[in-house]
Amino acid sequence: MAIDMNSFEISKVITPELISIDLQATTKVAAIEELTDLLVAHGDVIDRQGFIDDVMYRETEGMTGLGQGVAIPHGKSKAVKNTTLAIGISQHAIGWEALDDEPVTVVILFAVKDTDANTLHIKLLQKVAILLADDSFIERLHHIETKAELMDLLAKEPEEG
Amino acid sequence: MKIVGVAACTSGIAHTYIAREKVMKAAQSLGYEIHMETQGTIGTENELTPAQIEAADFVLLVVDIKIGGRERFAGKKVVEVPTNTAIKAPTKLLQAVVDKLQAS
Repeated sequence: MAIDMNSFEISKVITPELISIDLQATTKVAAIEELTDLLVAHGDVIDRQGFIDDVMYRETEGMTGLGQGVAIPHGKSKAVKNTTLAIGISQHAIGWEALDDEPVTVVILFAVKDTDANTLHIKLLQKVAILLADDSFIERLHHIETKAELMDLLAKEPEEG
Repeated sequence: MKIVGVAACTSGIAHTYIAREKVMKAAQSLGYEIHMETQGTIGTENELTPAQIEAADFVLLVVDIKIGGRERFAGKKVVEVPTNTAIKAPTKLLQAVVDKLQAS
């Protein structure tokens, strides 16, 4: 029962429309733009350029490549209508400033509403962040082949540290 | 070894929580007792208790910004690193701090 509740919650912020398992972008900026387009199409971001500017501003404050081929660009922005995230998996490496100086193939774009009073949504993003600290989760992330597999993986409850 | 710490990053959305998780895991695998507070966009969670702070051998601040309640650690040994250091090599970080502490 607890597991069902959990996957239900995750599906509140991540839907298949916000996932691309074949990211076309070959550069960091293009990847952020491509994922932003998913957020705009889904109605979660209302000002495309405004959001991209805020995400790129955050990029100047410190690297968002976590190492192990994963990057987590993020923007807390007035352009965000619903706090959520978009996930892109690429079949080719994308250059990114990362802790291990390696390019990435997984880009998780966090979109956070400027004045978010909805703690639940932020808690769900937090849960995804905690999953990213788990090496076996990262390993599985790199072997995702379908959106459904990714949704299942994200619905996993992080082990409390 | 007993450790207390605080994690806080610029936007308080992701790095704070990844850093906490990485440091907690590393500390546990090294056999240390650790308590880590987070100060994120939704406020303070896992707030440290005065007893936890009192018992700690050192305070590990994994922070990119100014945190609240720093005065709680007055008189304690405080080590401060950016979140990226803790995310990149949490075990190495803890070992370096403990080695230095034990050598002094």
